[in-house]
Amino acid sequence: MSDDEVGTAPVHEVGEFYQLLTAQLESAFGRRHPHWVRGEIAKVYEKGHIYVDLVDAGSAAADTKRPVLNAHCWGTQWAPLKKRLAAEGVTLAPGVLVNLFGYVDLYAPQGRIGFTITQIDVQGLLGDVARRRQELIARLTSEGLMEANKKVLMTPVPLRVGLVASPGTEGYSDFTGQLLHSGFGFEIVLVKSAVQGDAAPPQIVAAIETLDSADVDIICLVRGGGSKGDLACFDDERVARAVAAAKRPIFTGIGHTGDESIADLVAHTRAITPTKLGEEIAAIVRSWHDRHVRLPAQRLLDAGHELLDEGTEYVAERRRTMIFAVRDRLRGEQRHLEGTRAGLVVHSRHLLATAAQLLASSRQLLGAYDPKRRLAQGWSIVTGPSGAVVRTLNDISIGDAVRVLVSDGSFESTVKEKDGTP
Amino acid sequence: MSDIGNWNDAARELDAIVASFDEGEVSVDDLFAKLERATTIIETLEARLDATKARVDELAPRLSRVAESE
Repeated sequence: MSDDEVGTAPVHEVGEFYQLLTAQLESAFGRRHPHWVRGEIAKVYEKGHIYVDLVDAGSAAADTKRPVLNAHCWGTQWAPLKKRLAAEGVTLAPGVLVNLFGYVDLYAPQGRIGFTITQIDVQGLLGDVARRRQELIARLTSEGLMEANKKVLMTPVPLRVGLVASPGTEGYSDFTGQLLHSGFGFEIVLVKSAVQGDAAPPQIVAAIETLDSADVDIICLVRGGGSKGDLACFDDERVARAVAAAKRPIFTGIGHTGDESIADLVAHTRAITPTKLGEEIAAIVRSWHDRHVRLPAQRLLDAGHELLDEGTEYVAERRRTMIFAVRDRLRGEQRHLEGTRAGLVVHSRHLLATAAQLLASSRQLLGAYDPKRRLAQGWSIVTGPSGAVVRTLNDISIGDAVRVLVSDGSFESTVKEKDGTP
Repeated sequence: MSDIGNWNDAARELDAIVASFDEGEVSVDDLFAKLERATTIIETLEARLDATKARVDELAPRLSRVAESE
């Protein structure tokens, strides 16, 4: 700078100088000329408004000469921005990489240049959240924690259910409603916990540890649907490690369809919603009940009826068989008797006929010896005094009166002489 | 009701009686005695069946409730 320039340079009052400076800054970096500034949050302080110290990413905190941008966002603009960030699960915190949109302002009383934030690049922040999430998953995987709880053996009938939830919430009601209306005797052991916000992770961890020491079959983490920010506590590393370390199977029903927290990934079993989780647990019990109670009862019932039907049919068949067998047997005997009787009649008639024929023959034969026929031929029959037929001379004596029978009568005669000459 | 032994013993005896009829081994003198024995066995088996059915009918609704439970 030459002496002339020094000599002609204007002299300003401080206030006037700041006015000039402000005008210059505003012409290039002011409200009408906003800029994006990328950096890493070094410090953040929030009280109605938010104050952020932004530094170059990767710069060392010990470097006292590193450039720092003192950014702030006034309450009226911060409130909707904060809500939007929370909905996406993003929290402004030291170490977070962020793109801030805004303008430069100069605060004359302290001689400080500041940066008024009007927008924050959420997409960039989300990329950072996703990166940190992937890093956490990679760490858990390398330590074998993603599968640790999945290897925990589960009782086949998980009726004693440990529950980490916030009573009165929709997720709590949906989940417990499924169990209580399932018809099975579920016993729910509740340990209350916040399920969103910064206070949630340590409470969830404590609840898991409490239930892990209690007499429960499984532990359920339940939280209804919400924004990513609402569900962010289930991506917390402390929660993930508590789930992995649990000795009881951890079941999750967090958010709604499409949500997948790290707790879901580490858990033994996950369902897409609290309602689905309740349904799945009831289904596990129902499946066991079907296999070990309902179906055996049905088989028993069927087998009993089948056996009785067989017995009834057997006895009825035997009854019919006996009736027919006896009837057949009696009819057989009756036919035999009738046959015998008929045979006897025929035989008797034959015998009678034969006898009659024999009798006739005899009669005919006897006719030849009929005395009348002999008398007619000239023969006579002499009877002695006693009436007996005289067959020899010895049957009579001289002087006996004898009667002589001839064919047409008889006459009396007296024996005068006996002559032995025939 | 005379003693006919257990179901299987009674069924065996009844089958033997029926078989003797089928094979024509039963004389008229034995017929009545065998028929009387068969009738006794059948009636006893039927009575046992009825009693068992009645008891099963008592239990069946309870088993049905279990079998039809969801």
